[in-house]
Amino acid sequence: MTPEASEAFAGEIKEALRLVIDPELGYNIVDLGLVYEVNVEDGGVVHVAMTTTTRGCPATGYLKDGARDAAWSVPSVEFVDIALTYDPPWTPDMMTPDAKRHLGIM
Amino acid sequence: MVGVALSRWTMSYFATAVLALIAAEGLMLAGIGYPHTAIAAPESLLLVHLVAIGWLSLLMCGALFQFVPVLVNRPLDSNTLPLPTLILLVAGLAALLLGFAQLGGTIQTPFGFFPAAAILLGAGFVLVLWNLGRTLWAERPLPLPARFVVVGLCSLAATVFLGIIFALVLGGVATKPHLLDVTALGLPIHVIAGLGGWLTFTAFGVSYRLLAMFMLAPELEGRTTRGALYVGTAALTVAIVGGMAAICTSTNVIWPIGAAGGLGLLALALYGGDIQHLYRARKRRVIELNSRMAGIALANLAVTVALGIGLLFAGRFNDHVGVVVFLVAFAWLTGFGLAKLYKIVAFLTWLECYGPVLGKTATPRVQDLVTEPRAQKWFALYFVAVWIAAISLLLTTPSLFRLGVGAMLLATIGIGVQLMRTRRLANVAPALRLPKGTRPPHLLHSSVQPS
Repeated sequence: MTPEASEAFAGEIKEALRLVIDPELGYNIVDLGLVYEVNVEDGGVVHVAMTTTTRGCPATGYLKDGARDAAWSVPSVEFVDIALTYDPPWTPDMMTPDAKRHLGIM
Repeated sequence: MVGVALSRWTMSYFATAVLALIAAEGLMLAGIGYPHTAIAAPESLLLVHLVAIGWLSLLMCGALFQFVPVLVNRPLDSNTLPLPTLILLVAGLAALLLGFAQLGGTIQTPFGFFPAAAILLGAGFVLVLWNLGRTLWAERPLPLPARFVVVGLCSLAATVFLGIIFALVLGGVATKPHLLDVTALGLPIHVIAGLGGWLTFTAFGVSYRLLAMFMLAPELEGRTTRGALYVGTAALTVAIVGGMAAICTSTNVIWPIGAAGGLGLLALALYGGDIQHLYRARKRRVIELNSRMAGIALANLAVTVALGIGLLFAGRFNDHVGVVVFLVAFAWLTGFGLAKLYKIVAFLTWLECYGPVLGKTATPRVQDLVTEPRAQKWFALYFVAVWIAAISLLLTTPSLFRLGVGAMLLATIGIGVQLMRTRRLANVAPALRLPKGTRPPHLLHSSVQPS
C-alpha cells in the first residue's frame, strides 16, 4: 500500500470512528482527541490507539468495542486491533476547535 | 463485557433511598418527631434514622458500589452481594424504626426489635465494608479521593459499632455498666462518626473526583488536598477514639470533641479552598445542572458551618443543635446527594441502554436523557424550602416549618419524577430512543445488554 493510499484508508477509518461518541461529553471520540493513532497495514489490518477522558470510566469497555465495530464497518478492513493507553493522559487541550466550541470550552 | 463495571443493584438502592426521603419528609409534614417533639424523643430518633440510614446511607452505598470501581479502576469485588446487603439493611432499618415506635409507646409488643435491628443492620453494613474494603484493598496504593472513602468507611464501622451497642442497651440485652455509659454519653460520637465521617467525608472524596470529571477540571492531588485528608482524618480519630477513651476513663467527652472540632474546621477550610479552585479552574464554562446544584449544596455546607460557629460564640449551640443537624442532613448532604443522583441515574441508564450499540448506530448523549430546565425548578424549590424550614426552626415557628417541609416534599417528588423519566428514556427524542439492538432498561436493576 502506498503512503498516500494508507493515509486515505486511515482517514476513512477515522471518519467511521466519528460514529462513536463519548457519552458524557456528547461528542465524537476523534474530535475529542481520544483517538491517538490510526495505523493501517497491508491486508486490511487496522491498529487504533485510543484513550478515555478518565481512568476507570465505566464506559471504557463500550468505547473500545464501539471503536472496534465502527472501524470494522469500513470496507476492506480484515482485522482491527484497539489498544487502550493512558500515556499521555487525555486533556481537554487535545480537542479540535469545533469540539471545544461545542462544549463551551475556552 | 470486559472492562465494564456496571453495578447491578445500584438503582434499587437509589429507589429505596428516595422513597425513604419522601417518607421522612411526609412524617415531618405530619408533625411527627423534631421539632414537634424533643430531639432525643423516640419519634425524633425514628425520623433521624429513616433519613440517615434509609435515605443517606442507602444512597451512599448504592453510589459507592458503582463509584469505588471507577476510583480504583477495578471491578467491584462482588456484584452479587449488594442485593442481600440491601435486603439486610432495609429489614434492619424497619426493625430499628419499629424499635423506636415501641420505645415511644406507639406499638405494644414484647418482640425485641432493637436486638433484631442490631443483628440485621450490623450484618448489612459488614457486607458493605467487606465488599468495598476488598475492592479498595486490592488496588493499594490508593488515589487520594479513594483514601477519603476509606476514612469514611472506617467511620461507618465506628458508627455501626456504637449503634449496635445503643440498640442492645435500649433493647435490654446489654446491661453492663460501661455499655450503659457508652449509651448515655456516646451519642455525639455516633452523630459525628455518621454524619461527619461516613457521609460527609465520603462525599468529599466522591466530590473531588466527580466534580473534576464532570466539569473537566484538573484532578487535585496537591498539598491542600492531602492536608484536608490528613487533618480531617485526625479530627475524626480524635472525636471517635478520643471520645470513646474519654467515656471509658470518665473524662468529659467535650474535650476530645472540642479538639476534633478545631481540626475539623481546618479540614473544611482546606477542602473548601480546593473546591473553589475546582470550580474556577474548570475547562467547561457552562456546567450542567448537577454541578450547579452540587455547588449550592457545598455553599450550604459553608453557611451551616458558619452558623454553627456563630451559635457556639453566642452560647446558643445546644439550644439550636437540631437546626445544625437539619442543615447538615438536608441543605448539604441531601442537596449534594440529589444533585449527583440526577447525573448518575442518567449516566448508568445510558451505559446500560446505549453502550452495547455504540459504534454500530447513532446514539443519544447522556444529556439527552434529562430535561434540565424542568428539573432545575424542583431543585430551586427544594433549596428554598430547606432554608425556610431551617429559619423557622431558628425562630421556633412550627407552622412555617411545616410549610417549608411541605415544599421540600413536593420538590423531592418532582425530582423523583424526573429520575423516573430519565430511567424510562422519556426525555430522549423518539427517533433516537430505542435504536436497533437496544431495549428499555428495568427500573430497579441494571443488566448489560448483549452487544
